[in-house]
Order: sequence, then C-alpha cells, then structure tokens
Amino acid sequence: MNRGIRRLVVRLGGWSGAVGASIVLAIALAALLAPWIAPYDPVSLNLERKLQAPDAAHWFGTDQAGRDILSRAIWGARVSLMVGVLAVVIGLVGGVGLGLVAAYYSGGLVEQAIMRTVDAIASIPLLIWAIAVVGIIGVGPVLIGPFRFANEFKLLVLIGFLYMPGLARVTYTVAQIEAVADYVRARRVQGARDLAIMFGDVLPNCLSPLIVQGTLLVAIGIVVEASVSFVGLGVQPPTPSWGTMLADSRNYLFSGEWWLPVFPGLAISVTVVGFNLLGDALRDMLDPRRSTGRLIA
Amino acid sequence: MLRLIVGRLLFSVATLLLVGLILFLLTRLLADTPARIVLGIEASEAQIAVFNRDHGLDRPILTQYLDWLGRIVLQGDFGKSFITGLAMNAELARSMPITFELVVLAFVFALALALPLGILSAVLEGRSIDHVARVFAVAGVSIPGFWLGLMLIRFFAVEWGWFPPGGFSPLSSGLGPHLRSVSLPAFALGIYYVAILSRMTRSSLLEVLGTDYVRTARSLGLPRWRVLIYALKNALPPVVSIAAMSFGYMFGWALIVEHVFNIPGMSRALLTAIGQRDYFMVQTVVYVFTAIFIAANLIADVLNRALNPKLAGAG
Amino acid sequence: MNAPLLEIRDLRVGFPIADRMALAVRDLSLDVMPGEAVGLVGESGSGKSVTALAAMRLVAHPGRILGGSIRLGGDDILALDERALRKVRGRRMAMVFQDPQTSLNPAFTIGQQLLDTINAHRSLTPREARAEALEALAMVGIPAPERRLNSYPHEFSGGMRQRALIAMAIACRPQLLIADEPTTALDVTVQAQVIALLRRLARDLNLAVLFISHNLELVAELCDRVVVMYGGMAMEAASVEALFSAPKHPYTRLLRQCVPRLEGGQERLLSIDGAPPVLGQMPPGCPFAQRCPDALARCRSDEPPSRQLDGHSVACWVAT
Repeated sequence: MNRGIRRLVVRLGGWSGAVGASIVLAIALAALLAPWIAPYDPVSLNLERKLQAPDAAHWFGTDQAGRDILSRAIWGARVSLMVGVLAVVIGLVGGVGLGLVAAYYSGGLVEQAIMRTVDAIASIPLLIWAIAVVGIIGVGPVLIGPFRFANEFKLLVLIGFLYMPGLARVTYTVAQIEAVADYVRARRVQGARDLAIMFGDVLPNCLSPLIVQGTLLVAIGIVVEASVSFVGLGVQPPTPSWGTMLADSRNYLFSGEWWLPVFPGLAISVTVVGFNLLGDALRDMLDPRRSTGRLIA
Repeated sequence: MLRLIVGRLLFSVATLLLVGLILFLLTRLLADTPARIVLGIEASEAQIAVFNRDHGLDRPILTQYLDWLGRIVLQGDFGKSFITGLAMNAELARSMPITFELVVLAFVFALALALPLGILSAVLEGRSIDHVARVFAVAGVSIPGFWLGLMLIRFFAVEWGWFPPGGFSPLSSGLGPHLRSVSLPAFALGIYYVAILSRMTRSSLLEVLGTDYVRTARSLGLPRWRVLIYALKNALPPVVSIAAMSFGYMFGWALIVEHVFNIPGMSRALLTAIGQRDYFMVQTVVYVFTAIFIAANLIADVLNRALNPKLAGAG
Repeated sequence: MNAPLLEIRDLRVGFPIADRMALAVRDLSLDVMPGEAVGLVGESGSGKSVTALAAMRLVAHPGRILGGSIRLGGDDILALDERALRKVRGRRMAMVFQDPQTSLNPAFTIGQQLLDTINAHRSLTPREARAEALEALAMVGIPAPERRLNSYPHEFSGGMRQRALIAMAIACRPQLLIADEPTTALDVTVQAQVIALLRRLARDLNLAVLFISHNLELVAELCDRVVVMYGGMAMEAASVEALFSAPKHPYTRLLRQCVPRLEGGQERLLSIDGAPPVLGQMPPGCPFAQRCPDALARCRSDEPPSRQLDGHSVACWVAT
C-alpha cells in the first residue's frame, strides 16, 4: 500500500478513524456543493414521475411528488450539518466560557453560582424541550431586522443552549487542574491579565477533550434535528431534510415503496456513523486518558 | 451519605421549581393566550377579560404558577385544560402508563443485553466477539431509533407479518398480543442504549482489569470468576449510574418511537396538544417528563456514590 | 546443599517496540534456596520487576516470556496451564507489590479479600477460614484484627495496607514470597518496620524471599545473597557480605557509593554519570559499557558471559 496513505491512516487512529473522517468530509462536501452536484432540483414537483423505483435516471428513486430522492438527500445534508455544527459552536462558546471562568475563580461564589446554574440547565431533557418549545412558539420563521430565520434556527439555538452544561463541565474539569498548575501561577506572578491566562494558557490545554466531545455532539444534534423534523416540528417544507423525508415516507410503509424510507435513513445513519467514528478516533488520539466521559442523550 | 442525599434532593427540588417556572413563563409569554385560541380573533376585549377572570388568568403569573404547583403537590391535581376542558389527571392516567411501560421494557432489554455483551467483549478483548460488538455498538449509537422503527415495521410487520405494524394492544386484550405490540417499539428504543451501555461496561471493565488490585487477585491464585467479580464490583458503579441517567433520556426518545408506531402514549398527548394549541397540556406533559428526568439524574448521582465505598465513606 | 526452590535459567522477556521484541530481561539466571532471602537490585528499568512478574507468570500483555525456564520446586512454571498456575499462585509462591495504595481492591473489605485467598486454596469451614484470616493478620502485626476484618482498604494507612497485602500473600503458607519494592511507597520509618516484618516472617515460616529493590541498604538488612541487574542482565551475584566488602563489577562498585547514608551526615551523594539504556535502544555488548569508567573497546561489542570469580558470579570483561 502507498506509504503516504498508510501514515495518514495511522495518524487518524486506524481504519475506523480514517473511515469516519472520509465520511464526514464527503458529507460536508455534498452539503457545500449541493447546487452543483445534485442531479435534479430538490423541490420542483413532477407528478408524472412520482414514486419511481430507483433506476439509472433516479438512483434513489423519486418521492410522492416526483422529486429526486438522491438530490433531496444531498440537499438535506445542508440543514443537518448546519444544525449539528452550529449547535455545537453555540454550546462551545457558552460552555467553554462558563467552565473556564468557574475553574479560574475556583473556590469562590462565582464558581458556585456558575456550576449550580450549569447543573440546573443540565436537568432539562433535550428532545422533549425541543419539541415543546417549538410547539409553543410555532414553526414559522422568526424575523429579526432584515434577517429571516427559519424554524431550524430555533432548534439549533435550543440544542446549543442545552449542550452548554456538558461542555462547561468538560472545560471545568480539565481547566480546574490546569488553573493551579505552576505555569499559570508563574504567569500570574508575571502580571498577566486573567482573561489572557484563561484563554491564552488554560484553554489550549482543554481543547483535546472539547474537540472530541464536540465531534460526538454533532452526531447527537443531527439525530435530534431529524427526530424533531420527523414529528413535523423541525425543518419545514419545502426545505429538503432527512427527517421530513422520513415523515413523508410513513404513508408508504404498506404500499411497497421501500426506497422512500431507506435512503434518507441511510443518509442520517452514515453521517452519524462518520461523526461517531471520527470522535472516537480523536478521543484515542487526543485524550487517551479519557479525562471526560462520553456524553449521552 | 444521608446529608449528601438530602442536599442533592433539595437541589433537585429547587431545580424543578425553577425549570417549572421557566416552562410556565414560556407558555404564558410566547404562546397565544388561551382566550384568543378558544374565543377566536374576533372576540372582544370584554369577552377575553371574562374568560381570563373565569380561568384565573388575570392574576399575576407568579401567583398562577404557585397555585398550579400547589395543587399538584398538595392535591395531586394537575388542573384542567383551558382549551378542551379535559382534566389533566385523566389524560396522564391514560397515556403515562403506556409510555412508562415502553421505557421500562426498553430499559430492561438494554441492560439485559448490554451487560453481558460489554463483559464478554472486555474479557475477550481483541477476539472476534469483541470486534462484532464494536461494529454493533457503532451502528447502535448511529442508527436513529425512529428510522430503525420504520424499517422494523416495513420488514418484520408489513413484509413478514411477525408483529403488528403499529398501534397498541392493552394487556386486557391478552398477554400475547400485548407483548407483540410493544416488542418492536421497545427494541427500537432500547438498541441505542444497548450500544452505549455495552461500550461503557467494556471500557470500564477493561480499565479495572488492568489495575494493580486485579493483578494482586490473580497473583493470589483466585479463581477466574472471583477475579471477574472483584473487577465488576469496581467497574459497574459508573455503568449503573449512566444507566440510571439513560432511563431519564429514554422518555424523550420514546416520544418519537411512539409516534412511529402509533402508540397512544404521551407522544400522542403532546403532539395532539401542540396541534390544538393546548399549551396547558404541553406544559403538563413537559413538566412531568422533566421531573422524571431530574429524578433519574438524582438516582444516578446517589447510586454512583452509594456503590463506591470510598465515596460513601467520605460522606 | 539441596536443590533450589526457585530456579530461573536464561530467562528472556520481551516487549514489542516498533514491530520487534525488545528484551527487558536477557538470559537471566537466578536461584533461590528454600528459606533463603535473595535480593534483586537494580535501577528502575533494569528488568528486576519484570523478572519477578515473569516468575509469577504475570507479565502484562503485550510483554511476553520468550525463552528460558522457571522452575519452582522442580515444576516447570512455564509449562503450566491457567488452572494449574492458579494452584501455584498464592499457595506455593505469592507476591507483594510496590504500591499498597492501588494493590488492594477498594470495593471489598480486607477480611473478604483475605478469606477469598484462603478459600481459593483450602477447603475450610467458614469458621476455620475466619480463624486463619485472623491469624494471618495477627502474624503481620495488625492490631485488633477482629475489627480490621470488616474495614475497607481506604480506612487503612499505607503501612497497614502493605501489612494486609503481606498477610494475604502468606495466608496459605507459601514457600516463596516475591516482594517487589514493597517499601518504596512507604515512609522511611514504616519501611524499616516492613523489612523487620519480612525478616521475622522468613525466619518463623521458613519462607524463601525474593526481594526486589533499588535500595542496597534494605537488601543488606534482609537478604543472604544479592543479584545486581542492569539493562536486563545479571551483572553480579554474590553473598551480601562478599558483595559489600569486595564488589567485583564496576557497576556494583558505583552503586555501592551511591547509597545515601542517613547516619553519615554531610556525606557526598554520588551518582553515576549518564542514564540507563532505554528499552528498544539497547547497545551491543555490555549494557553498562557506555557509563562504565573502566570500559574497554571489547565491552562495547561483545556481551560479557557470566563467570565465577572468588565466589562471585560476574558478567564483566574487566572485573578481576
């Protein structure tokens, strides 16, 4: 085998890591390049060609409105990845900030206040609140100034918010150890500012577990989005999404159009496998001591 | 130890009060008012005022919240929907047992499969069963339960007819039909936790098997099963704790799985309520679920400490 | 002289490093006579602990015993299956490990762990087993053993834990006790107590001891004979008196001078220049040649064979 590839595989933590990274890369490319690589328009109706089984023209078949399932699956990657990734970004921004501050001012009222708040937020179950909050606010777009935010933005903000406690605890656990390390004390003596120490010195040492957890949380976010979309409270038509495609397919479970539920479900599963494999490989590589447990959902 | 439990309990209660308030505010501030929903857009201000007075909605929100909470705690009365006029207690009594049964079945299934699988793959690390278990675990955490449910219906129910394609047969219709109607949903719900918990068991046990005290036990010639018990008593507490937490998480996913299988549990109650804009019902369901979730986390926390003699001794 | 109790011949233990087996122990031979206390001395990384683990067949994966033989009372330890091995471990030979903090199971009481050991090897009634456990605890000098049976390890001090571990090791009256740096993790005062305990047990139970240490002083206090290891090889073996009064190997001589003496007051602490060779980067020839003040050209190319010299056995080209 090619030595270069072999070295890359080893670096990615063996074959499973390499497979995970490849999947994530492929899905990300599909999402980015959807307008150019999708063979058909994902939303325009073509009732003459509805419910066609997979063939040379439509590899994944067509749905009840004659739309190409492959094209919709490719476009669906956009919403899924956007929700998955942005939710983690929100969770990281909030969680890292809270965790760092709590660890840095360890032993005081600030730490207590932050960590108890974090504990309180952690006692909110994600999926049911996602369903309920969207259900209460409604699925319509939100207009803020000139910007129009579709329903999935509510979802990703909420998911990100509820990711904060987990990520704050990860940061806190690692940063607490770092905050009392000699090099931090030395920096304090040198007169460095608190913020500079926190973000410049302590944070870099917390990155490994955060990257690992972040990767695994993208996977959870994607499933949550698909689930909420599946019950009709997530991504709204006509935007193509894997969850709504599966919801549509429910009407055809008995009539034999197997491709309707199979391909969107495979798209979700493969994407989630990719992020999970990549996350596990990153963990083996960056965080072999497992300073943090696996977050569950 | 007792002090710790009481402390956690108090914190959990406080959290529940706070989270309940947030929920209450959400339904009161962000949603349409019940009066508008019931009386329509054309209703006059006077009509709305009457409606609000009749239903106690003209009082300050905090008073309403405390009144609502007080009835739940003191009288076990979850109140009545403003929209449908239905008593929440009756709704919960109808749908909650179904969801609860589904979650308990899935939980038992998950534990019964995850523990042996995790132990086997740790003891036989690197052998073929370990590899199979790993592939299974990756698939298990990655395949969404609701899609798995769809596939199970498609093949096991529609194609081969081994199970009903959905719906719920109560126990009164016979044990056989009842169990058949809940097996696919319980499987779809449980498989994710089989994967999570078996991996956790494996890694926890592997870590313990590498410790000095396991080496000591081996150096003293203890039988294999005894060494395994030595290790398990140290390896299982974190798994038990995560399992308890999982129980809380499972209720959320149960909603989606119930929806897939058309099971008339809390999922239907919640989604119907959302459809009818019956936010009082939504609030009630979410509040009950959150309470279960917090209780599960509390139990997880207490178990984790109680099973660890070192922490338990430290109080 | 009768036959050795433990007889190690040409033992080779390897660990895989970068696709090949690096030898942590090479061609080591060692005898322990019944009732005799033998010290195995060396710096960390010299292979002494690996040798001890190999004798118990406890070398952790991925390490492996690659060759040689280990006999206990004439039985070939390397030929035993797991089942037969379990009958030997704890019954005919037992081991005490370095770190008493981590070597006891935190989730079981001391009594339970002790009883498990006893029950693994002897069929006794619960009452008899309990009596045996109490006796073992009393023998290692744990006060109020009845109460201590129900204690968890975290309720014990470091010294007490090590005593409890020794109690488990001797509970079934083995003929050989392997003690791997049993005092390193303890306070100096406790160290002396544990050494005294081992000496007393060896005498009272006619126990042979293989005592592994980096501390020559402790070895001198306890042992009859000493084997000095370096880079996985036995450099020199002799009686304690002979080794201390007339060390033959340059490494032994230097090691003698490194020992810090408590009573010596201001005495200078010597150290040997350089660092011991790293596993997997073992130079050819004598492993000590690079740091040896007397090294010849030959030392860097040919491995010195072990030879007899005034009652010492020495692996060195220059020693006279």
